Amino acid sequence: MIQLATDAEGNGFATMLSELLAQNLADHPEKRRDFDRLTGRIALVVDDIDVSITLCFEAGRLTVHGGIYGMPDVTITASSDDIMKMSLMELVPKVGLPDPRGQFTREIFSASQGGKIHMHGALLHMPLMLRLTRVMSINR
Amino acid sequence: MEYEFPSEEWVSAYKDAVNANEGYRKAGKDWTFGAVAMVVEADASIGIEKAIGMILDVHEGVCRGTKYVLGIDGVESAPFIIVGSYDRWKEVVEGKSDPIKAMMQGKLKLQKGHLPTILRFVESNRQLVVSATHVATRFKK
Repeated sequence: MIQLATDAEGNGFATMLSELLAQNLADHPEKRRDFDRLTGRIALVVDDIDVSITLCFEAGRLTVHGGIYGMPDVTITASSDDIMKMSLMELVPKVGLPDPRGQFTREIFSASQGGKIHMHGALLHMPLMLRLTRVMSINR
Repeated sequence: MEYEFPSEEWVSAYKDAVNANEGYRKAGKDWTFGAVAMVVEADASIGIEKAIGMILDVHEGVCRGTKYVLGIDGVESAPFIIVGSYDRWKEVVEGKSDPIKAMMQGKLKLQKGHLPTILRFVESNRQLVVSATHVATRFKK
């Protein structure tokens, strides 16, 4: 279901995100529906530690590559703190959208508006972004 | 008084530093997930012939006890095991590196444990690092 590509060996962030997503899906089986519907490539660039990965989703399968792989649909560039906060974003129960009342969701929105987080291609791929948020968040 | 890192005396002083840290008491008050083991990998060049484990029995914002063990087998009972080389742990103890960031860089490895729980307690982890910087430490190199 989730595998690390050979080019991700030694990439700590790739290992971490693979484990996070696998444990999230095990803890919250309801997220599996979103995972199964995710198709697309999302690059995550952690600019303060110079690490990047590409998540290649193919309807129920994920391959995590080290670095930028192919042509990502969305590229998110942020600091390590903000990338990790994305996994803590609070979601509105049942609806699954980011909850603007939540502390981490507010911090992410604020960082995005302040130019600390860049999401290239996000507006063109909103369903992909929303599903990623739900699958990546450790909250329900 | 300075304590050599890693040593039984150092980890005991670390416990006192954790318990003296009000920031940790607050950030870690909901932590009920068990002990955290820091493992320094073997490095014969600095006299560490076998991996060294330092187990912190942290619970609800308090460090209830510590254990210093030789060999990776000695830490297996801990629900969370973080492994790294001496140099990487030195960076953490000096406050130059954040453990979560170090994991993202592949410098430290969560060998055992539930990653979402670690992330949920990111401030608590930071306060453990802050506590380490308050221990008067003598390094091997």
